[in-house]
Amino acid sequence: MNRQIILMVFEVVGSGICVSSDDGQKVHDQIAAALREGEKVKLSFLNIESLTSAFLNAAVGQLYGAFSEETIKGSLSVADMEQEDLVLLKRVVETAKEYFSDPDRFKKAREEALEERDDD
Amino acid sequence: MKIALQNIHCNHEGYSRLIDLAAQTASLFLDDIEIDMRNVAWIDANMCAPLGAILYRAAREINSVRLTNIPPTVEAVLCKNGFLCNYGWPRKMDTYGSTIEYKRFEPKDDRYFADYIEKQMIGKGIPEMSPGLLKKFRESIYEIFSNAVIHSQTKQGIFSCGQYFYKKNRLDFSVVDLGDGIRRTILERRGLDLPAEEAINWALEGKNTTKAGPIPGGLGLKLLREFIVKNEGRIQIVSDSGYWELYNGKVTTKSFADPFPGTVVTIEINTADSKSYRLVSEVRPEDIF
Repeated sequence: MNRQIILMVFEVVGSGICVSSDDGQKVHDQIAAALREGEKVKLSFLNIESLTSAFLNAAVGQLYGAFSEETIKGSLSVADMEQEDLVLLKRVVETAKEYFSDPDRFKKAREEALEERDDD
Repeated sequence: MKIALQNIHCNHEGYSRLIDLAAQTASLFLDDIEIDMRNVAWIDANMCAPLGAILYRAAREINSVRLTNIPPTVEAVLCKNGFLCNYGWPRKMDTYGSTIEYKRFEPKDDRYFADYIEKQMIGKGIPEMSPGLLKKFRESIYEIFSNAVIHSQTKQGIFSCGQYFYKKNRLDFSVVDLGDGIRRTILERRGLDLPAEEAINWALEGKNTTKAGPIPGGLGLKLLREFIVKNEGRIQIVSDSGYWELYNGKVTTKSFADPFPGTVVTIEINTADSKSYRLVSEVRPEDIF
């Protein structure tokens, strides 16, 4: 409990080009599994050359549909990101918070996350 | 069926001519389609992407597509960027390295697409952009590609092509999908029945998104718009029967008589842009969440 897992984005995706939502989903699934176990996660973007909002929305943004802001803030951190990429991630996070501020979307995302967990 | 094509410039009229071609070929099946190009004195090379998409769609209906009477200057350009390789011509050497090859990708081909961009932009050394601009440019293109994959639901792929104009310091690049189009996506997912050009505008405004599932969205086209404004470039979006253009900070919208069977996003980059893309205010990693 409460170890810090270092998740290398490059290793999960297998490339420094992080473009697709599908690759973002792989990163998301790893983070979500660790957070559900109460672990802390450090997401390292070492050697990542290109990022899109689609990738980050899937990898990080959708976490706000399944976990509270408090949990994410307390358990997830990022490292090895260029300043421009940090700005992009910040915007993705702000967009996600806004997106899930709609109670219907949040409820639906929560239900889907629980279903996914039951399927594991 | 014989169809005469005229000049295809990257503007409303050029797209309009391609839409006419799409309308004329839409219902053909098991036909022989001859595209007579004797009156084509000019085709903007990036327009091979929407042209190729329309011809690809026609060929999937088991039509035989032939291009005839291509003037030598046009033929040279379309051989250099690989477009005519699809119709029986050999590839020609691109001596000046000014073409960005015409390609079709499957929606799952994001890495192949990224590799193509790296090879076409970096490998060939075009254009001479600052590292900051190059990074923003690459990422903008990736945003367009992933946007097309996520929103268009295309089954027939994504088409791209570009051209670099050394003297003008401009790079034009088009990405095309044969998917649902922005108007229909907004109607189906948000229940908003907008004219096609207003639908494009809606997709580029504020926090609007058609996403409804567990993954948030709605940033890609806005990031692209911000970058192009700063770069003093141009964006054209053609989707369904709508035309939307941003140039010199001004948005122009128009409509077409018929719909384009998908969406075209064309960007024109000012490659002489020496502005710094480093940000004035810093974001600290601990302030992200």
